[in-house]
Amino acid sequence: MARITSIDQLDFDKQYTYADYLTWEFKERVELIKGRLFKMSPAPNRRHQAISSNLHYFFAAFLRDKPCRVYHAPFDVRLIKNGKDTVVQPDICVICDESKLDDQGCNGSPDMVIEILSPGNSRKERKEKFALYEENGIAEYWMVEPAEEFVTVYSLNEEGKYIGSKPFITGETIDSDAVPGFTVAVDDIFAD
Amino acid sequence: MSRITSLVQLDLNKRYTYADYLTWEVKERIELIKGKILKMAPAPNRKHQRISLLLERAIDQFLAQMPCELYHAPFDVRLPLPLNKQSSERFDTVVQPDIVVVCDTSKLDEQGCNGAPELIIEILSPGNTQREMKDKFELYEAAGVQEYWLVDPIRETTILYHRNAEDRFVGTRPFLAGDTIQSKVLEGFSIEASVFLNEN
Repeated sequence: MARITSIDQLDFDKQYTYADYLTWEFKERVELIKGRLFKMSPAPNRRHQAISSNLHYFFAAFLRDKPCRVYHAPFDVRLIKNGKDTVVQPDICVICDESKLDDQGCNGSPDMVIEILSPGNSRKERKEKFALYEENGIAEYWMVEPAEEFVTVYSLNEEGKYIGSKPFITGETIDSDAVPGFTVAVDDIFAD
Repeated sequence: MSRITSLVQLDLNKRYTYADYLTWEVKERIELIKGKILKMAPAPNRKHQRISLLLERAIDQFLAQMPCELYHAPFDVRLPLPLNKQSSERFDTVVQPDIVVVCDTSKLDEQGCNGAPELIIEILSPGNTQREMKDKFELYEAAGVQEYWLVDPIRETTILYHRNAEDRFVGTRPFLAGDTIQSKVLEGFSIEASVFLNEN
């Protein structure tokens, strides 16, 4: 097999596996959703990074003496299904089952994930990843909207379907059900 | 009482009533949220109007078979709501949602709609997003609106909120072009998101 050193050698209409993914040597960040290749934006912007680091900070502080761990992207989360491998890099994920963690990242569903969106390029997060996280039983999915500074929390209901919260805005606080006891002020998420 | 012909004569920190509202002769479009005045954006932009038209056209066609009526802004909807859950004191709320569907037609009078419409659709504009989302979500939830569509022209998404067993609004996933949106309150009504989203 020829070495893959450029993303141009790959076929976006083809299905790939996690085994393929591990052999790729190009610089671009990609995700694999049910075998299909998705490019990630080259580098997140400053605002995205500020929000990511705020969220990571609050989770890390809260989880210090708890068995759960928080990670931020780039961090591989594998959801391996026969022939439909998925490797995604959520902006933030919290994992409470230590047995899922290995040297490569997380093998299985995190307890919660957070994606920081942007108006233009978030179709993947709103559609493909939404369906993916729902199907894989990730109890909570937060969608953070930097432009208008609001957060929507999706939680699985008894039928295993996501239901959305109201949009949380400035002045409100968000309580997580997936990470019991965790609370964060919307203002602190967006603080610059 | 002196005539109110300009917004500057009004106190944005005061609580007013629907009776006050009816006497005002100001040009600006305003809403009354639990007695407080909220200025509306001067005029919605073209994309906003286009989305509104496309939705209305589809819904109106569907309503030919139902005893419900469709109205679009400016159309006064009065929602008598307590200031908070503990308070029995009522404050008048008059809003102008982008699109409303009223099936209980006894709520309709000369002035508009007195009570909660079955369905409300709001199309976000850049200037009013946070307010639209928080205030109106809470108002419509408290007033008993059955279904609330939040259309976001910038993100090209639409979220539907329905009442759950606890009578609270819960949201669907964000629908995008390629999805079919189904109403619950207008049983049998569905529309392709691409009909009104990412349409230039």
